[in-house]
Amino acid sequence: MSTTESNIFSSYQRDPSLFDEIYDKQGNVKNVYQTLFKLYGEHSINDYMLLNEKAKSSFFNQGITFQVYSDKEMQEKIFPFDLFPRIIDAKEWEIIEKGAIQRSKALNLFLWDIYHEKNILKQGVVPVELISSSENYLHQMMDVDPPGGIYNHISGTDIIKHNDGNYYVLEDNIRCPSGVSYVICNRTALKRALFGVFNHYQTHTVTNYAENLLELLESVKPHGVDIPNTVVITPGMYNSAFYEHSYLAKTMGVELVEGRDLIVENDFVYMKTIKGLEKVDIIYRRIDDQFMDPLEFRADSSLGVPGLFSAYKKGNVTLANAPGTGVADDKAVYTYMPEIIKYYLDETPILNNVHTYHCSRPKELTYVLDHISELVIKPVDEAGGYGISIGNRLSKKEIEEVKKQVKLHPRKYVAQPIMSLSVHPTYIDDVNSFEQRHIDLRTYTVLGKDKEFVLKGGLTRVALKKGNLIVNSSQGGGSKDTWVLKD
Amino acid sequence: MSLEYSITYKAENHYDHPVKEASWQFLILPDENSTQNQVEINFNNSLNLPLEFSHNAYGFRTIRISAKEQFMDIVFEAHFSLVKEHTNPFNFQIANSLEEELKKLHQLEFKVDFEPFLRKTSLTNLLEDHKQLFLFKKDKSLFENLQELNKWVFEKIFYTPGTTHVGTVLDEIVANRHGVCQDFSHLFCALARQNGIPARYVSGYLHQGIGYFGDSQMHAWAEAYMPEIGWIGFDPTNNLIANDNHIKVAHGKDYADCAPLKGVVYSKGENRTTHSVQVSSQQQQ
Repeated sequence: MSTTESNIFSSYQRDPSLFDEIYDKQGNVKNVYQTLFKLYGEHSINDYMLLNEKAKSSFFNQGITFQVYSDKEMQEKIFPFDLFPRIIDAKEWEIIEKGAIQRSKALNLFLWDIYHEKNILKQGVVPVELISSSENYLHQMMDVDPPGGIYNHISGTDIIKHNDGNYYVLEDNIRCPSGVSYVICNRTALKRALFGVFNHYQTHTVTNYAENLLELLESVKPHGVDIPNTVVITPGMYNSAFYEHSYLAKTMGVELVEGRDLIVENDFVYMKTIKGLEKVDIIYRRIDDQFMDPLEFRADSSLGVPGLFSAYKKGNVTLANAPGTGVADDKAVYTYMPEIIKYYLDETPILNNVHTYHCSRPKELTYVLDHISELVIKPVDEAGGYGISIGNRLSKKEIEEVKKQVKLHPRKYVAQPIMSLSVHPTYIDDVNSFEQRHIDLRTYTVLGKDKEFVLKGGLTRVALKKGNLIVNSSQGGGSKDTWVLKD
Repeated sequence: MSLEYSITYKAENHYDHPVKEASWQFLILPDENSTQNQVEINFNNSLNLPLEFSHNAYGFRTIRISAKEQFMDIVFEAHFSLVKEHTNPFNFQIANSLEEELKKLHQLEFKVDFEPFLRKTSLTNLLEDHKQLFLFKKDKSLFENLQELNKWVFEKIFYTPGTTHVGTVLDEIVANRHGVCQDFSHLFCALARQNGIPARYVSGYLHQGIGYFGDSQMHAWAEAYMPEIGWIGFDPTNNLIANDNHIKVAHGKDYADCAPLKGVVYSKGENRTTHSVQVSSQQQQ
């Protein structure tokens, strides 16, 4: 099929240097997208605009909004949603799913090890500095056995497709990864607006997330508990992800609580109800480690529950994710993922890691110094994107300056190839047409006792600003429904 | 020979407005170890609230107390007794040179095991300029170097209550040269760790009456690790090796691991708190 037949895509411009998710290199629409392309092609761009408006208002009506903290007037916003879905076929998805499970399992074993025997450190497979320089390493967790041996019950793995056509993992979020409620709401909105189109594909459901989450959480209930009582704990309604906390509690059919609703007595956790105290066995927490228990961590926290950590240590309550899990959610740990997977599972990584050159190693330092213009140079110990130099955007003078710094403090720097995120046709309000925009994918993996679950879908995030690579919702990113096809 | 100690810890709290809910966690029980035994505890509070025992990250016993009914005053009063064995802190032989000792300390397995006591915490961190303040001398043994560090800290800081608080950073203390036992101990730990020697912060009680700094409140000192001998206590506030007069409660990376009392109180308005500690001894045969 040629592109000229379609009104809706007639003005779509492709940059040949970018990997387009729906067109192949010759400019033909890829197989999985052909039906969709044909169906959308029957409509004019104005039909599409009207449908898009309808879908947007459905988000407002459902109350699916988030707040951006820096805005002067705390404005409620919807996460911009585009009706043109991203499609992943069964074969590609298998790689993503297996790769995500492999990473989650390896990280779980890594966490067990660094809070018990520390063999991987003693054998020098990864440097001891990974924990000694981490503020998220909780000595309180030393020799504590989490129920079922699980630390990272819920992982959000951020994956991109590079212009070589391969998937790469950018990070593993294993503190409190958010966004899963958008995945489900995007699907609802899309089905409402375009049921006829959706029906032409055999797509996996995403609405089974909550039931799987609950089942896997219950598989790691505290010892001796028959029918566990689960709750979701939230920092409160002013948290930007509050909608998601309430959504997950509602769809799992469990109580949503704040710290002040819980109390610890004799190292058991109870919920205050109008009928009296009710024992709580499993807590899905959306509160950071440091705010969990003011008697153990930050004393100025009013979000937590005094005595909670003591109840946890005695094995009377399950916390998901386990305290101290954040140490593995770290840029430096990420760079050692291939070693970590090999060490614990004796496997090679299914999903690629972005290759990392450690400037502390002389051979790699030489390579970095010779190839700065093709690399991203990152300080190891800075968070939040500070001090990052992107080689192809530096002037000659700046390159020399970076070289000097790296030579001076090689241990402080790592370097990675510059990654190019794939692009996907995305409806752009301002110009009322489709344009290429960079996308990534956040997948959701849940680990339980001897079982695991990956949500067949995930959140495709879109960088709405032209040429922008940052897909975060706080930075003006949008999202797409993600269809994982059945075999 | 041994000494029998009796310790009284008292904390009185008065609140201007009724407190609806409160929890406290105490880390004040004398540790049971090779030189401290027969520890007995008698802990009371004026509201007769039940005690809940637990262990902290380093295995030291804590007591948690929660109030669920309104109150305006509460008094905690604890009596401890224990027997402390007399030991001679200098009773060991040092055969190795500093270099040989450091070689052991630099083994990877050792660095991993002692990681908590080699790390820089926010309370034991020093600016680049201050890291060179005290460097170990190669021609002296590890023990001699540690003794000199103890003396150096003692001379560097003037014991001055009220000039620092629990959040004061070490660089500020080094610059102003005033502080209390916590600050002396943090500085000792920071510089020992800087030289590759594991060091831990210790909180406890100091026997009164001799005129040492730090009695009548809880005291703090430090322990440094010597491969041939084990952990040795140094009290830089008094330029002493920890001895019979030092009754250990807990150790940790820094003060934050050893805070004697943590509390969460839901109330408005002001409160007044007074603490007191008394230590007395009786010699045993």
